Amino acid sequence: MAGGDKSQESDVPRQKSFATPETLKVGCIAMVYKEGKTRKAEILGVKDTKSGKQFYCNFDNFNKRLDEWVPLARVDLLQEVEWPNPEKPKDAKKSGGQATKKTAAPPSKKVQKRPFPREESVASEGGSTPHPFAEFAATQHSTPSADGNEKLTLALDLDATPGAEDDDPMDVDVEKSVSLAISAKAQPQENFDREEEIEKLRVGGSMTQNQAEISRIRNISKVQFGRYDLYPWYFSPYPETFAQEDLMHICEFCLMYYADPKSFDRHRSKCTMQHPPGNEIYRDDYVSFFEIDGRRQRTWCRNLCLLSKMFLDHKTLYYDVDPFLFYVMTTRDDKGCHLVGYFSKEKESLDGFNVACILTMPQYQRKGYGRLLIQFSYELSKIEGKLGSPEKPLSDLGLLSYRQYWTENLVEILLEHNERDERCSIEHLAALLAMTASDVESTLQALKMQVYHKGEHKIVVPTHLIKKHEALKEKFKTKPKRTIIAERIQWKPPVFTASNRTWGW
Amino acid sequence: MKRAQQPARVARVKKLSRSQGQQILREEEIDSREYEDLFQQQVNKITSGVEAAEETEIHLQAALAAATSGANEGEIPAPPADETPGNHYNILYQRSFDNPVSYIRFSNTVEDCTGCGYDMTSEDDVFLKEYNKKKSGGRYSEDFFEKIMAMFEETAKTHAPYASVDNTVVPFDTMKSVLVDRVRGEVGEFAKAFYDHWVIRQQLQPALKYETSKDNEDADPYVCFRRRDGRQTRKTRARDNASVDRLKKLRREMEDARGMVLATHQREIMKRDLLRTERMIFGQRAILKDTKVRLSIKSNDDDLINQKPQKRPRQSDVPARAPVVGRLPNGSIGPIAPELPQLSDIQTEKENALQRIIETKTQLHRKWNEDHIDLTREPLSPVEDRGPEPSFRPATAQYRYLTPPSSVNSEAFEQNALIQKEAEGTINRYSSPPVEIELQAQRAYRKRVGRLGRLWIDRRNMAPTPLNDNDVIMTDRWKYDQEDDDEQDVYPMDPYDITALRYRSTLPTRSERSAARPSPNDRLTAAALQPPAT
Repeated sequence: MAGGDKSQESDVPRQKSFATPETLKVGCIAMVYKEGKTRKAEILGVKDTKSGKQFYCNFDNFNKRLDEWVPLARVDLLQEVEWPNPEKPKDAKKSGGQATKKTAAPPSKKVQKRPFPREESVASEGGSTPHPFAEFAATQHSTPSADGNEKLTLALDLDATPGAEDDDPMDVDVEKSVSLAISAKAQPQENFDREEEIEKLRVGGSMTQNQAEISRIRNISKVQFGRYDLYPWYFSPYPETFAQEDLMHICEFCLMYYADPKSFDRHRSKCTMQHPPGNEIYRDDYVSFFEIDGRRQRTWCRNLCLLSKMFLDHKTLYYDVDPFLFYVMTTRDDKGCHLVGYFSKEKESLDGFNVACILTMPQYQRKGYGRLLIQFSYELSKIEGKLGSPEKPLSDLGLLSYRQYWTENLVEILLEHNERDERCSIEHLAALLAMTASDVESTLQALKMQVYHKGEHKIVVPTHLIKKHEALKEKFKTKPKRTIIAERIQWKPPVFTASNRTWGW
Repeated sequence: MKRAQQPARVARVKKLSRSQGQQILREEEIDSREYEDLFQQQVNKITSGVEAAEETEIHLQAALAAATSGANEGEIPAPPADETPGNHYNILYQRSFDNPVSYIRFSNTVEDCTGCGYDMTSEDDVFLKEYNKKKSGGRYSEDFFEKIMAMFEETAKTHAPYASVDNTVVPFDTMKSVLVDRVRGEVGEFAKAFYDHWVIRQQLQPALKYETSKDNEDADPYVCFRRRDGRQTRKTRARDNASVDRLKKLRREMEDARGMVLATHQREIMKRDLLRTERMIFGQRAILKDTKVRLSIKSNDDDLINQKPQKRPRQSDVPARAPVVGRLPNGSIGPIAPELPQLSDIQTEKENALQRIIETKTQLHRKWNEDHIDLTREPLSPVEDRGPEPSFRPATAQYRYLTPPSSVNSEAFEQNALIQKEAEGTINRYSSPPVEIELQAQRAYRKRVGRLGRLWIDRRNMAPTPLNDNDVIMTDRWKYDQEDDDEQDVYPMDPYDITALRYRSTLPTRSERSAARPSPNDRLTAAALQPPAT
């Protein structure tokens, strides 16, 4: 299994040796303590602070939102460090066109180079040193299960010998996915073409898969927004000088951004906006939805995009907001309508997406708002008489939210059919929920509901899902479920003329 | 063993159609062991929609596994948001909000809602406070300061739109002139101080990076919100022409507008000059009056008031031209400005011209036909020996007169008719030589050109060659030279033959074709039955 995957990997021999605090540099892969364990981490940035050197680390198989600046104390220097390969354009040329293209693209900042796992396919030379992950996998196999997990603490462990690699927290189950990850991560790199993507983005879409685009160091450290302090997850192209600020202020209503507190005070004394600048198209006791045209409210929508970029990894701000509509969910109080989340939608999606970007603000996450956003997007699709699907790639949180929404709704419909002893086709399910048939299919498969049994395709609802469904039903008896009430939507699908299309919306 | 069976089982799986109705079971309705087995088959990977590189992240995998296995939902750790400590919020957000009863409709932009476009920074604050301290007199409020700064920014944007590229700094004089226009009244010395402060601060304003030129910024992560070029529309000649026309029209209209503006400008300048002159005259007169009083000059005060403009002598000219008017029908129309040409004049002129053309054409025709003798024996047209030249046969309507212009009155129409009559007398007529002159039995040929350029040669009075019965070809030549009107072929016809009737009955009748409309079918059939008259 592992061997098969190994053959697919682009083997890049990397120099390994011990490092000193002085020699640690951008591109190194070192073992760094995180959540009580040492983990492989790539150093993406180095900075000097008063308390000493700090390293910006991206942890292997951790989402980038968990990237962080770590002090030297957390870097395990007793383990060997993998050094970034020096660029060898000649070798790269030999290995094929793609690699040449990659190296030709000038990433002026070293940060954009990702030695692992998003590395270039450079021709192997010698092959004496195996790939770090292959070696890692091998050691995993040779050593029985890691019982030393508890041994490790955050403090530097003097016991940590080179053999300490054995103590890596990843158990054998994960290991498979690790090797999978390498091949998976290598793939998009190979057939990725930046120009192609820019062209694709020009005509539609808002998500990028460009690694250089998304593998950036977070530039804003803290944002004061309304009643909350937000800690951004990802890079966002706010003015460059903001990167040096400890705190950035964003006006809760017009979303203007200020590094200077005095400016922000002045702005607040003048700003009269109290809700998103568009038409309210939905209202219930709990939330309101506003529809905002990217072309008419360019400043506001740009501000919203900048704000949401801090929490959406794959969102791209390469092109302007004109071809999008923004559906903004708010809660009301005596101060105004507060931004809870939003989704954007292409005015005319060639791929039939009904959502481009979708985000619940961090301060409102895990409260069920995401489900409302998703439901609203499907209600709009129902009004349009279309089947919709969110634009890919989804983020991890996005996938979970969508899975949850899909599962709950599918289970409900399936159980109803089961009670009435009716048959149900995938298309029927899709039409009921305004989901695309392929989304229905993938959900059924992911939840192990789609089976082939006794020469027939059947849908089986697993017991745990039935239990969950009944539990929810119980819960909603006492506390009514928050849903979008379709009758309260006052909305007609906006119509755009040919000239809109020609002249960039 | 199971493993050996698997491939066979997998191969047998029918393809699942999306429209196929599927049975829905609960998990307990199926044997649990069997259920477990069923998933051994599933090999195809599920597309999750998450980017492949991130699909393997530990936390996501854990959460997904939890969702499928029914364990407690795994959470993906994310940096949380904190509530800002202190009463900061209520100070900053003081306005209270009344939710309207109806759904909000709103189209103001951010710029509309934020008032002055400049928000002063801490540095500005320090500067202004110090400046105000230095100045004992006029204190400038923060609002005023911001207003001035916004004006600087705005002016800079219009005067040096590429400042971000070439670092142009708009000079103070330009700013000052704008300020003078905007701020009614005197521009205090604050302007210079503010301007100097602005120049220092200008470069420090944090701003988003927008695209500036094509090269070298694709990789810059800070450049955002690029313009999307419009989609290519299909290029056709018609579209090209249409846009060219539209452009031309637009240009014309713009030029018209420009002309109008210029003319208006000219007019206003003249008005101003006129006013100035009058004022000057008034002043001069006042001086003159004073002088007169002082020197006690007694004269009429004609030069102190404006004389009434003299009556224009032109008015007396009008009666002289009256006859022109008189020619108009009714004569009820009042005098017309003499320089205007009369309609009737133009009409007569036109008619004369027409007449001249007609005459020249007649002359021409006569010339062409001078030596023409028409020797045809019986010209197709009836001979009318009215014309002066009998050798011409009559031809009607050789010339078509121009239709009278639609706007002319009835009288003009009559005039036209008169001319026509007159012209009729001069019309050329052709006639063949008198019949008596014609030689009997003279051979004659006539060449005719028929439709589609077919050439015909008519012969007349050909002496029949001695008949040679054997010479079939020769006889055949003359076959049609004889006119045998009274000798027509008789086709034998059986009046009681029903073939025609039978044929007719097979045809769909009209009533069949349109049952609604009754038609005189019987009569038609009867007519068809009748034998042709012989």
